Amino acid sequence: MSEKHEGLGTEPTLPASSDQFSARAQLEDGGAKRSDGGGDGQSRKPGPMVVGAAAFFAILFGLTFWVHASVHAAGERAAHPEQAAEQKVAVADNSEVGYCTPAFKGVLQRVLNSCGLVGSEARRGCQPADVKTFASISDDDFNALFTPLKDRGAVILFDEGKDDLDDGAKKLLEEKWQDRRGARYFFVVARASKTGTPDANRALSHRRANSVMLDLQNTYHDPDLDKQVGLLWLGNEFAQLSKDYCEWPSSREQATSSKKEKCSAETINRSAFVSWVDCRL
Amino acid sequence: MRTRDIRFAAALALFGAVLGLLFATYSTSDYAAHLDRQVHAIHCSFIPGADPSSDDANPCKAALFSPYSAIFRQTYWGGIPISLGALGCFSFFVGLALYLAIAPARASRRALELFALTALAPLGASIVMFTISLTQLHAFCKLCVGIYTSSILIAIGGVLALRASMKEKKDGGARPRGKLPVLAGGVVAFGVASLLPAMVYAWSLPDYRPYLTSCGALAHTTESHGALLKIPTTQPKRQVILFEDPFCPICKTFHERLVAENILEKLDITLSLFPLDHDCNWMVENSLHPGACTLSKAVICGKDRARQVLEWAYDNQEELRPLGKQGGSALKDRISKQFGGDMGACIDDKATTTKLNQELLFAADNHIPVSTPQLYLKEGDKLARVCDEDTDLGLKYAMGQLAPEVVSP
Repeated sequence: MSEKHEGLGTEPTLPASSDQFSARAQLEDGGAKRSDGGGDGQSRKPGPMVVGAAAFFAILFGLTFWVHASVHAAGERAAHPEQAAEQKVAVADNSEVGYCTPAFKGVLQRVLNSCGLVGSEARRGCQPADVKTFASISDDDFNALFTPLKDRGAVILFDEGKDDLDDGAKKLLEEKWQDRRGARYFFVVARASKTGTPDANRALSHRRANSVMLDLQNTYHDPDLDKQVGLLWLGNEFAQLSKDYCEWPSSREQATSSKKEKCSAETINRSAFVSWVDCRL
Repeated sequence: MRTRDIRFAAALALFGAVLGLLFATYSTSDYAAHLDRQVHAIHCSFIPGADPSSDDANPCKAALFSPYSAIFRQTYWGGIPISLGALGCFSFFVGLALYLAIAPARASRRALELFALTALAPLGASIVMFTISLTQLHAFCKLCVGIYTSSILIAIGGVLALRASMKEKKDGGARPRGKLPVLAGGVVAFGVASLLPAMVYAWSLPDYRPYLTSCGALAHTTESHGALLKIPTTQPKRQVILFEDPFCPICKTFHERLVAENILEKLDITLSLFPLDHDCNWMVENSLHPGACTLSKAVICGKDRARQVLEWAYDNQEELRPLGKQGGSALKDRISKQFGGDMGACIDDKATTTKLNQELLFAADNHIPVSTPQLYLKEGDKLARVCDEDTDLGLKYAMGQLAPEVVSP
């Protein structure tokens, strides 16, 4: 009996002396008839070599096809990301907090457009006539817009008829300026009390606004200052502050005792309100 | 009796091969899933079919994103995962071990030698990868451990089978010897099987080049106050801006990847700190990395030693994280202990806060995604963003395409 066994070695004709071994091998091999090389034509059972090779090729080609399909599918998902689960990532921007109501942002936008912070206008700042025109709201409504900034901003107080910043004013201004966080714009809204003529008060409030700006320029030499600071000077013609604003943080609280004077509706308007504004536009 | 030993050895190897196939399939599946440039959970269990994990501390994730998980990374996006070799290799052993298990008496000596010889290959590869896991990754991925175990089982099977064959020969057994070319053919078949899935993988990969420049650019390339930090490197060849958070584990991994790929030293790095901590960063609602603001200030205070402080922060994230969560001065005190008392004073300085704020505003002005790390590469007069997907698996490929000078030897 001689059988060819192809694959991992050709089995030679088993020696006669190995009959016992052969019989045992047949038994231990599960009694499978050898058909690796074609068999005797009567048995249809695959030989061990064929089984092993079939398993090898089936797994190898199956996995290879699966690899191709996986890579191809990933490529399709990459090309059409809407088919994949898109992860939304927030985008970095300036801060925006609750007081940025549409009304506030509307006024803010008009201030920025009209007072030279955006666009190519050379002039800086807005005077009462401008504010009245672009704000298109009443004095009280204008002031109400700034009410939420009570904790964010502060009132820089000036002596009567003066526009120079005292030490308390400079300290408070520095403190507020440095507490920028993510705000985009810094507002300076200067006023004058009712003492004096409207023209004189308009000029005085203008100088007060400029004093604040000048102090910032001298202290920080920030090249972006012009794009950040919005100046408004209202004289005594528009949006005067009521005595209620005496409760707001102010520079005279931090000044020497000699500068302290009783806050009134008159004194609170000798001021410049300063605050970063946490709104996006 | 020897036949029974061979059958046992083959059964052991068959079990190991099937087990190895399972682990290698999961590993390959996870790798291939990331070719869509999305974020996916990663399998990491000894139990086949267990749910994948999205945990950042997942050691299988660390292994997958490490430079050691694939080869030819500069030629192919993501490279060719080494698990593909395991797929083909284990397929071969399934076939061979099945044959030997069914016909242990009839298998030639050459077949057993082939078994023993080829069984050394997965064992060798596993020893190399185990050493890398131990010395470089300092973590053991369960899928990898599964593959190591499978390789050991196969190797044991190979050794047992060979030993049985030799004893049988010594005892005068009549096992056929087989032919040498057939042994060689078997080795070739083993090699081809190990390479085939990898070759098909490489052939199936899409063209990733169009994606590389699709993630935008910085609108403002400079910070007007000079607040950004220079990170010194030895051979700066290409200007980049990095947005990083010293407490961010992905930034740490990214930094390590740049070092491992030998890219970092060839970058001319400007660092813009972007701590994901609400204490100083208004763009983050909930602090992802509490204490990151303090740590960022320490990097700013480091000045010429900014890189040293940053790398110290990365190296000690595990120790520093609880201090950051604790709040108060715990983290600052630890930093002062490391770098001196002046550092503590500098962290409290208003000027440092202003500088950090300017860096955050730089990010805001550029409307970058609120995530770290981010890499922007100088291309002409713009700084183009290297997509997140190209900063991990596709890093070497992306750099090879966009800035070949930083990946060339």
